Amino acid sequence: MELQLGLALPIHSSIDGFNHSGSGCSENKKYVKNKRSYEESFGHFLKPLPLLVWSGQPNEEDDRNKKMNTNIHTLNNEGENHLVGWPPIKSWRKKELHDQQHHGHIRIDHRMQGNENQDRRLRPLYVKVNMEGVAIGRQVNLRLYNSYHTLKDSLINMFVKYQNFEEDGANYTLIFQNKQGDWLLTEHIPWQSFIGTVRRLAILGNEKMKIFDKY
Amino acid sequence: MDHSFPQKVLEHLFSFIDSNKDRNAISLVSKSWYEIERRSRKKIFIGNCYAVSPTTVIKRFPELRSITLKGKPHFADFNLVPDGWGGYVYTWIEAMAVSVPLLEEIRLKRMVVTDESLELIAKSFKNFKVLVFISCDGFSTDGLEAIASNCRNLKELNLQESEVEDLSGDWLCYFPDSYTSLVSLNISCLNNEVNLSALEALLGRCPNLQTLCLNHAVPLDKLPSLLSQCPQLVELGTGVYSTEEMHPDVLSSLITAFSGCKQLKSLSGFWNVLPSYLPALYPICSRLTSLNLSYAIIQSSDIVKLIGQCPNLLRLWVLDYIEDVGLEAVAASCKDLQELRVFPSDPSCLELNNALTERGLVSVSKGCPKLQSVLYFCRQMSNAALSAIAQIRPNLTRFRLCILEPHTPDYLTLQPLDSGFGAIVEHCKDLQRLSLSGLLTDRVFEYIGTHAKKLEMLSVAFAGDSDLGLHYVLSGCENLRKLEIRDCPFGDEALLANAAKLETMRSLWMSSCSVSYGACKLLGQKMPKLNVEVIDESGPPDSRPDSCPVEKLYIYRSIAGPRLDMPGFVWTMGDDSSRKLELDVAGVEAQFRNL
Repeated sequence: MELQLGLALPIHSSIDGFNHSGSGCSENKKYVKNKRSYEESFGHFLKPLPLLVWSGQPNEEDDRNKKMNTNIHTLNNEGENHLVGWPPIKSWRKKELHDQQHHGHIRIDHRMQGNENQDRRLRPLYVKVNMEGVAIGRQVNLRLYNSYHTLKDSLINMFVKYQNFEEDGANYTLIFQNKQGDWLLTEHIPWQSFIGTVRRLAILGNEKMKIFDKY
Repeated sequence: MDHSFPQKVLEHLFSFIDSNKDRNAISLVSKSWYEIERRSRKKIFIGNCYAVSPTTVIKRFPELRSITLKGKPHFADFNLVPDGWGGYVYTWIEAMAVSVPLLEEIRLKRMVVTDESLELIAKSFKNFKVLVFISCDGFSTDGLEAIASNCRNLKELNLQESEVEDLSGDWLCYFPDSYTSLVSLNISCLNNEVNLSALEALLGRCPNLQTLCLNHAVPLDKLPSLLSQCPQLVELGTGVYSTEEMHPDVLSSLITAFSGCKQLKSLSGFWNVLPSYLPALYPICSRLTSLNLSYAIIQSSDIVKLIGQCPNLLRLWVLDYIEDVGLEAVAASCKDLQELRVFPSDPSCLELNNALTERGLVSVSKGCPKLQSVLYFCRQMSNAALSAIAQIRPNLTRFRLCILEPHTPDYLTLQPLDSGFGAIVEHCKDLQRLSLSGLLTDRVFEYIGTHAKKLEMLSVAFAGDSDLGLHYVLSGCENLRKLEIRDCPFGDEALLANAAKLETMRSLWMSSCSVSYGACKLLGQKMPKLNVEVIDESGPPDSRPDSCPVEKLYIYRSIAGPRLDMPGFVWTMGDDSSRKLELDVAGVEAQFRNL
């Protein structure tokens, strides 16, 4: 039973059937309002780690957007909204970084014979990790671990080093964002599947986790 | 006065003048100087391949040996120019194959090259030496086979950031055993593996090799053996910089290999870095003048450890993982730094990243007295920071700031960033290139028009309030050559009022602005020396009212007239209809030929 941490926030009870990755315009509006309430409740936490996957549509009520003419928004592979050609980064560079970060391996042309498997295996898999209460996120190479236990311990130690306080792993829960953009608990998925789908990590204190226990 | 100088003397004098800017000036002195100059010019630079025809160039400069051509507008780098727009090099190669058999060098940027073009180069120019394709596309490794087989005197093959259809890694094998003249090889853009034993043999027999940039398919454990073949290397782009697991013997062979490269000054590559291998670089860090870590996903602490040992760095390219703290370390260690580029690691991410802010840029500006060129992506900026930078570093010549979220104001005051950029143009009197971002009103353009007198290239996005903004720039910036604008409320008035200015510039790009079709037509009709091209993928602009804004507009000066190779979504303004029909047919033919 996986816990879906979607936009269905504890404050508002509009969870059922709420799928944030495919919503239309009107739902986005509702969503933006939800976001504000969430911010009010979890203000400081939300800064480094928005648990919401906001579609990025410019809010129609925003004054400054009135000045903009046609914004050509397109959806990229991950379903995120982007302005075409913004930010101004060469497509070649974008592709390179994207391949390294999301696939952890190098893109190889289909036509290449042999050596395919050799190249596709086990390149470093760097994902971003945010810890509750810490503004600065870290990067970690998941290839260096083979269990949640070692991963969690290592991560907490890493953050603790920079924050100068003692913390016990037992007070924290590790959650991750998968390829679909959903936030899930790590405990309920086998390590290998986790590696195949993880995009980001977060460490939340158990107090925060209690709110999601309702669902 | 020039009659008293024999032609031979003038020829001899002119032979010392390399800069095309100077040669252009010389050619304007008198008719005889023009003639002497043109017969002796060997290197030609053409900033817009459509500004002049190949025949005209070849006729004027019969001693042509080296040509540089640029094709697509700069915004093509960011996918704003649809595929098929143009920039085909074939007609140039064809013309030169016939009339310039002694051609030695071709350098292209943002052009479409075909295998056919490569084959023609390979068989037409017996003394061919240099082939550089920056951000080009349209060719495959088959074309490279032709080059490798035939160009016996090739010194440089550089495919930087080009899109190559990688059919086989064996094209390298086509360099014959007798071929030994390679000086520079950049294959970093290739997707697939090249034949490594062929590569190693090639490196071994080319004693003059100075630059080698590998692609990410070259495994790290192969790097030491490759390097041992060319220890005289000055510039290296590594392949992938990691292995499945850390191997101490790979690390030690890397250390040995790097230590053996006594001339190595420039490093790049670093695709997929395993930080444990970075210490292999420590022995050579003190000699490094250029370091490109902009593809390296490594933490700030690892970057700092490396850079801390590079006191002679002139150029640093890095991802925002360096963070403010890392840039402070750069400011402390790299006192000779001239160029800094910080790229975003996660451009689509909306969250505020407090680790890399304006503070990093301010530190480097304060600590590096020779800093001239900046490209900086970040999420927050303040007028105070920009002012500080401007005052500390008036020697800046290139300043490109990209605040990732459009319309972002000064995060401290919530005001537009007009005064900050204003300070930049006011203090940095030699500023040649500027890119703006953040919340900006017409004010900033007033500052630019007033102060940026040496500015040659300006990039603007999501800025300004009205036509006044564009007017300030066009009427004030005396040296402006290239202006590119997207998503700004600039319309007809400023453009039409400053039409004459456009003839003094290389090009103007405007997309998602408010320029009407009617204004484009008018401009095209009134300014015969300009090509006014409307790009509209939603259908012929004729089918809509004249007052409708065009999607994209590209205006450039040209003595070649309207181009003949336009795709269906590009219209040149100002032609009468019968001529347009002729051109359409020719255009289709040209396109067909280039497919």
